[in-house]
Amino acid sequence: MELAEPFEMTQPAISQHLKVLEDAGLIVRRIEGTRRPRRLAHAGIEAMDQWLAMLRKALEKNYDRLDAVLAGMEKNRKGDKP
Amino acid sequence: MSKLTLKTEGDTHVIVTRRFAASPDAVYRAHTDPKLVQQWLLGPEGWTMPVCINEPRPGGKIRYEWTHVKGGGFYLTGEYLELEPYSRIVHVERMHLPDPTPDNHVETRFDADGTGTLMTIRMTLPDVETRAAMLATGMERGMEASYVRLEGMI
Repeated sequence: MELAEPFEMTQPAISQHLKVLEDAGLIVRRIEGTRRPRRLAHAGIEAMDQWLAMLRKALEKNYDRLDAVLAGMEKNRKGDKP
Repeated sequence: MSKLTLKTEGDTHVIVTRRFAASPDAVYRAHTDPKLVQQWLLGPEGWTMPVCINEPRPGGKIRYEWTHVKGGGFYLTGEYLELEPYSRIVHVERMHLPDPTPDNHVETRFDADGTGTLMTIRMTLPDVETRAAMLATGMERGMEASYVRLEGMI
């Protein structure tokens, strides 16, 4: 209920969004009587951050190497000229 | 100075940009000529790509196989969907670890930027649930590797 308040959405719609986040492992739900408090699931968020950090690192390495390959291509092209 | 930018957009997109001091023509060729791809698409140190198949035409196949100096390896397969020579490539790809990861849909643009090139990659990853399952699998693997190391220690 509290999570739905700031949004112009119905309670069932909010519940649906929360279910997607829960299934994705990004939030976890507790049961306290009739309340269902949620909190961020750190493991899920961290896994995503880690994956993005890994991707960034691999791409940075790749493109630094590509800079060298491109410099080599330019040299060859100039070398071809009579 | 980091020349690379990487940001997420919505639930399923990752946008990467990078500038190169070479023409769009050259950067495009470095992405589609297997002899050139083999020289740079290697990720972290220690990896080589002994097999590089790259058929730059719609429906053409992509297959990259990597091996590590200390043994072990994995491969990637993909297909080209659209190619506009020297300006745009659209393809799908998946890693085989050895189980295939869900398809990653990738659009790469090469725009002239002064005397160089601005490359923009837009990846569309699977929906949030599939992606979470993917990450969970990765975590299990990571944990399994840690347990194996632990077993070696005790």
